[in-house]
This record gives sequence, structure tokens and C-alpha cells, in this order.
Amino acid sequence: MTEIAERSSPNPAVRRSAWAEAIRKEDWWAIWIGLGLIVVAVALFASGQSIKWIAVAPQKWSHLSDVAAQLSTHGVQYLALFVLWCVLFGIAAGALGFQSLRFLLSFSLLYVAALALYFLGLWDQASHYNLEPPLVALALGLLISNTVGVPKWADAGLRVEFYIKTGIVLLGTSLPLTLIAWAGPVAIVQAAIVSLVTFGVIYLTAIRLGLDRRLAAVLGTGGAVCGVSGSIAVAGAVGARKEQVSVAISLVVLWAIVMIFVLPLVARALGLSTGVAGAWIGTSEFADAAGLAAAQTYGGYAGHVPGITGNADAAVSAFTLMKVIGRDMWIGVWALVLSIVATTRWESTGVHNRAGIGEIWRRFPKFVLGFLLASAMVTWVAQGYSYAAYKQSVVPGLVAPLQALRTWAFTFAFLSIGLTTRVRDFVSVGARPFYAFTAGVVVNVVLGFVLSTQLFYGFWTRLGQ
Amino acid sequence: MIAFDTPGCARCRFFDPDARVIESELPGLRILSSAYGSVRSDDGLCRQHQRYVAASSICAAYREPAAALQPA
Repeated sequence: MTEIAERSSPNPAVRRSAWAEAIRKEDWWAIWIGLGLIVVAVALFASGQSIKWIAVAPQKWSHLSDVAAQLSTHGVQYLALFVLWCVLFGIAAGALGFQSLRFLLSFSLLYVAALALYFLGLWDQASHYNLEPPLVALALGLLISNTVGVPKWADAGLRVEFYIKTGIVLLGTSLPLTLIAWAGPVAIVQAAIVSLVTFGVIYLTAIRLGLDRRLAAVLGTGGAVCGVSGSIAVAGAVGARKEQVSVAISLVVLWAIVMIFVLPLVARALGLSTGVAGAWIGTSEFADAAGLAAAQTYGGYAGHVPGITGNADAAVSAFTLMKVIGRDMWIGVWALVLSIVATTRWESTGVHNRAGIGEIWRRFPKFVLGFLLASAMVTWVAQGYSYAAYKQSVVPGLVAPLQALRTWAFTFAFLSIGLTTRVRDFVSVGARPFYAFTAGVVVNVVLGFVLSTQLFYGFWTRLGQ
Repeated sequence: MIAFDTPGCARCRFFDPDARVIESELPGLRILSSAYGSVRSDDGLCRQHQRYVAASSICAAYREPAAALQPA
């Protein structure tokens, strides 16, 4: 991997090797943890065993006595899984610089909350009362963090992005490489259309309203590419002012959280199939964690809400293809192009970015590599199995346990979103940035809807079947 | 005019790329993103210009780190 400052500094103190990069970025830790679990799972499966003992997950229940019975029967497994997550995430947290004790204390509480939420989602009356786990997690977290508050020491265990990236790597085992190859190009085309139009609307509206070009670009990529991560990447590339970054963060988070509730609600009212709704959410949500919360919520409606067709996993699959393959992967290209434009066309700030083509790799969200590798590994394992044999053998012995681990990781993330969202932390964004970003939100949602439900409707519907 | 061989922000005393500091000074960053992710690369906060800049950037206000100024 490229060393930082390779052109700018001969000082060994600031030169970092590829290996240093691999232990100080959470993307790589998500890969090590996700792929590590998959490798062990595949090895056990190949020897006629399975990781399903430790990849324990609640089953459907009707009465609290059922919950007590499940906990009594599988208590040791839940404890073992807790220890496994503590070891894996704890090592990563330590390497990233968090205090291990604080992480363990915080994660312990998070695990207990996630266990309760996992059980809640499998209550046979949960859909009747609209108790979708991602939404309950978010609402509960928001309530706690904005009323009684979350102590500072707990920050170490509330790592939304780390958990969501680990979950996405594990999600790769549910998406065959052939499916990614089939659907990826369509996702890229649809996402490219929406990204370019949304960026253009936000940027031009912001300029029209008299905002600084760097703020316009940071807002534009936040709305068009990958939410807060897009904003932060482009902010560094163009040298935005600190307060401009804060404005973009506040606006993206605000709209992303609103959309977690709004998109599934509207899609449900319109009776969209899971594949189509997932594609729409993937096009129109701003952040991976927020979008996965919305997509998983919608997937939960399949089979429970009359009129919603498609399988439950299709919403998450379509979302992931659209968001991760269609949008996230390209952030390095956006950053490079905008850094060149900022340096050559915009007014000088006194700081000059010398980014080169290596910028694309440096900013590449590396966890996507883990997602693709996970998909390739399970595709390779599944070779030689008929569809019936795959369903009978590979799914229960390999894929389903990994899906359970993925659900755990996502639940940690959904809980962490609410618990880290403190309304008082939002900066005052001002009317003009709000109008510019909101204009992009409106166009993004409408265009994403039209493309998902009209132009590519048949495609996303087939994915759900 | 800044010479192209000027040392970059990565080793400037005004440059702070610490992920913890970035997350504390940009509240809300860790809700739906992170300062520990690959997309941030090695960007950091410039205390001189009050900007968020790439480590490879250059500027006329460059200063050697305090430690580098100490006698051997």
C-alpha cells in the first residue's frame, strides 16, 4: 500500500507502511474479523462440522416463558458468542487506540441490549405492533441519548461504522458473486445517474444561494455519494473549513435519520416489492448504516404485511448492491476530481492539495474488498452443489450461521446510531445550506423512486424473487 | 508561490490527524461515519488555517514539528 506523504516528507516518523495501515483503519479490521469468521466457518463446513453452535440466534416465540426456555437452553452459547465478539472487537478497538476496559464495559451493555432487541424482533406479534428491530433500536437509542444521556466512557463501544462494515463483509456470503456480476452494472448505472444529478442540484443550488464552493462540494457529495463519509473525504480533498464540515455532517445525519423512518413507510404504503424498495433505499439513503436499518426494516415486512412481495433478504441485497457497489466504491474518484477542480479553478485558500491518482486507492472503502471476497468464497464453496443440495446442506451448515452473525453486527450498529445521536451536538446549519441540501434530498428521493419503480422495475423485482 | 518540494502538512506542527481529536472536534462524525475509516485517508485538522486538509497538501505557513526543533 502507498505510504502517506510519500512525495511530501522524508521524515520516517510520518511514513507509514502497509501493515500499519492494516491495523489503524477500521475497514481493515472489519475485513480481518469478517473474513476470519468466514474462513473458520468454511473450514468447519468442509470437515463436516459447522459454526452454528456459537452463531446462536433467537427463534420465534409467543410467550415470555418461551424466551426464558430459549435462554436456559442456549445460555452457554450466548455467553460464548459474547466472549467471541469481545475478543474480536476488543482486539480491534485496542489497536485503534480505544481503552480496552471502556470498550468491554460499553460493549457488554450493547450486547445485552442487542440480545433483547433480537428477541423482540422474533416475537410473533412484533409485526402486528410495528416493532421492527432496526426502528426500535434507533428510537430507543435516540430516547436514551437525548434524555438520560450516554456517559463518555461508553463511546468506545458504540462504533456504528465498524459494526456495519463487519456486517457488510459477512453479508457478502449471502450474495453469490454471479448475482453481484449480474446486478452490479445496473446498480452502478442507476446510482451514477442519481449521484450526478443530486450532486449537481445541491452544488448549483448552494452556489446560487451564495455559499462557498467548498461547502457546496462537501454538501453535494454528502447527499450524492456516501453521506457523512462522502462529505469528510471531499472536505479533506478540497480543504474545507472546519465549520463547513460540521454543517455537512449535521445536515446529512438529520436527513439520513428522517429517511430511515420515511422510506420504509412510503414504500410500504405503495406496496413495493422488497427488491424494488431496497433499490430505492439504496439510491436515496445517505449512509450505509441508516440505509441498512431502513432496508432490513422493509425486508421484515415480507410475509407479514399483505401486498408486499419478494423475499426478506432482497431488500438488504438490493440496497447493498446499489449503495456499496453503485455509490460507496467511487468516493475516491469524486475526491480526486474535486481536489483537482478546487486546486485549478477555485479561489486559493493558501493550502494546496497535491493529490494524484493514488488518491482513489487511499480513499477506497476497503471493507468493500472484504464483501467481494466473502461472496467469492461462498460462491466457490457452493460450486458442485445442486440447488436442492445447497438449500439442504450449505445454507444451514454455512450460510445461515454467518447470516446470524451478520444480524448481530447490524443490531450493534443500529443501537449505536441512536445512542450516539445527540441533538445538542448538531451545529446550527443556517438556512441556505439547509435549502441547498434539501433540494438535493427531494430530487434524490424522486429520481431514485422513478428509476427503481419504472425504468429498472423489472430488474429489481426479479432480484427479489 | 509555494515550492513543490515544500514539506507537506503530514509533518507540519499545525497539522493534527489524530482520529480521536477529529471525532471530538467534528461532533456527529461518528454517528454515521468515522474518523477511523479508509475514506478519511490521512486527512487532518490544520490549526493554522482552521481547515480540514489532506496530509499531502502544502502551504506557505509550514512549520517543523516542535520535536524536530529540539537540539539533538
